[in-house]
Amino acid sequence: MSDKKKEIDLEEIIAKYRPVVGFRVKKSLGAANPDWEDVANEIMLNVVEKIKKGEFRGESSIGTFIYTITSRRIVDYIRQKSKVLRHAPEPKPLPSPHEQIEDKERAELIAGAIKKLKPKYRETLYLYYYRDLSRKEVAQKLGISLRRVSERVNYSQKLLRKLIKK
Amino acid sequence: MIKCKFEDLIDDYLLNRLSETNRENFEEHYFNCTHCYEKMVEREELISVIKNKGYTIFQDEYLAEETKRVPWFESVRSYFTPRQWAFAAVSAALFLIVIFGVIPTLNRTSPQFYINNEDVVRGESITLISPLIDIKSVPSQFKWKSLGKNVEYNIYIYNEKLIWTGTTKENVITLPEEVRKLMTSDQKYSWKVKAFSPEGFLIAISSRVQFKIIPTK
Repeated sequence: MSDKKKEIDLEEIIAKYRPVVGFRVKKSLGAANPDWEDVANEIMLNVVEKIKKGEFRGESSIGTFIYTITSRRIVDYIRQKSKVLRHAPEPKPLPSPHEQIEDKERAELIAGAIKKLKPKYRETLYLYYYRDLSRKEVAQKLGISLRRVSERVNYSQKLLRKLIKK
Repeated sequence: MIKCKFEDLIDDYLLNRLSETNRENFEEHYFNCTHCYEKMVEREELISVIKNKGYTIFQDEYLAEETKRVPWFESVRSYFTPRQWAFAAVSAALFLIVIFGVIPTLNRTSPQFYINNEDVVRGESITLISPLIDIKSVPSQFKWKSLGKNVEYNIYIYNEKLIWTGTTKENVITLPEEVRKLMTSDQKYSWKVKAFSPEGFLIAISSRVQFKIIPTK
């Protein structure tokens, strides 16, 4: 592999995987935890470093390679944190105001779109996500099959996508 | 339209309903599958909006559920899906058809009863009072417990074979003198009584009781 090719790949890799790693870290740490961005950045630096050192030999896919590094770092973080937490509680962080407003607007948009859905779709979303019932419970409550529950949710998502794009 | 078989796991992953192995497998998968990753991000956004704003979004559903409070028949009905209910109903119908329709025809000839003179209609027994076991002289009277009014009794006295038989409507019978003369001591005798209804059906029968005449010396 030439050096030039490596560089191009790296940029692509960062662009593609930074959000994926971020998602994974946020899922484990919780979105309210301000550390998730730092941890995600750290992981990406680590990935770049390892690739530069030639540690990625293509034995597995690049996705799996980054997944492994991410999982390990998350485990380390949680271990560290549980040690620290025993001594001092972390003060609550303030999220950046700009991001907040943007997220809020988008959330309003989605909420408005959900309200426009037909009752049968709204009902399914309500039971499945808001009431946190299992798929089976939702199916029983609505008198439909398990498959139908997933279909309704997926179709709702499709409708929402259209409503939001308008 | 499902493009990737892992797509089905997105909800369970986001709602933390996967086992650890499945979770890890799915995580590794979305590091490799842009399609699933994008679907998952979209779904996560939807779920977080619903979780955060659900109360305002679903006011109708929420109120409807609160006021409904699921009547009992509704909870029974929702126990199965309509298809399962249909299946249960068909099974129950088949079961009833087999029990009440098919099985009786398999055994249609009901048993017939013919009453002859040896059959007991009421199935009672008669308690004999005397003579029983050992007696001192040849008995003049035979006595048994009455079965009520309008019953006719046949009395049978045996040596080795039947030696005398008599009929009465009372619960006692006197042995004729010539029969008494026939009976000797140190011989084994036995007797029994049959009771008949006015219509002539045998309604009760005693057991056959032995007695022996042992004269005092």
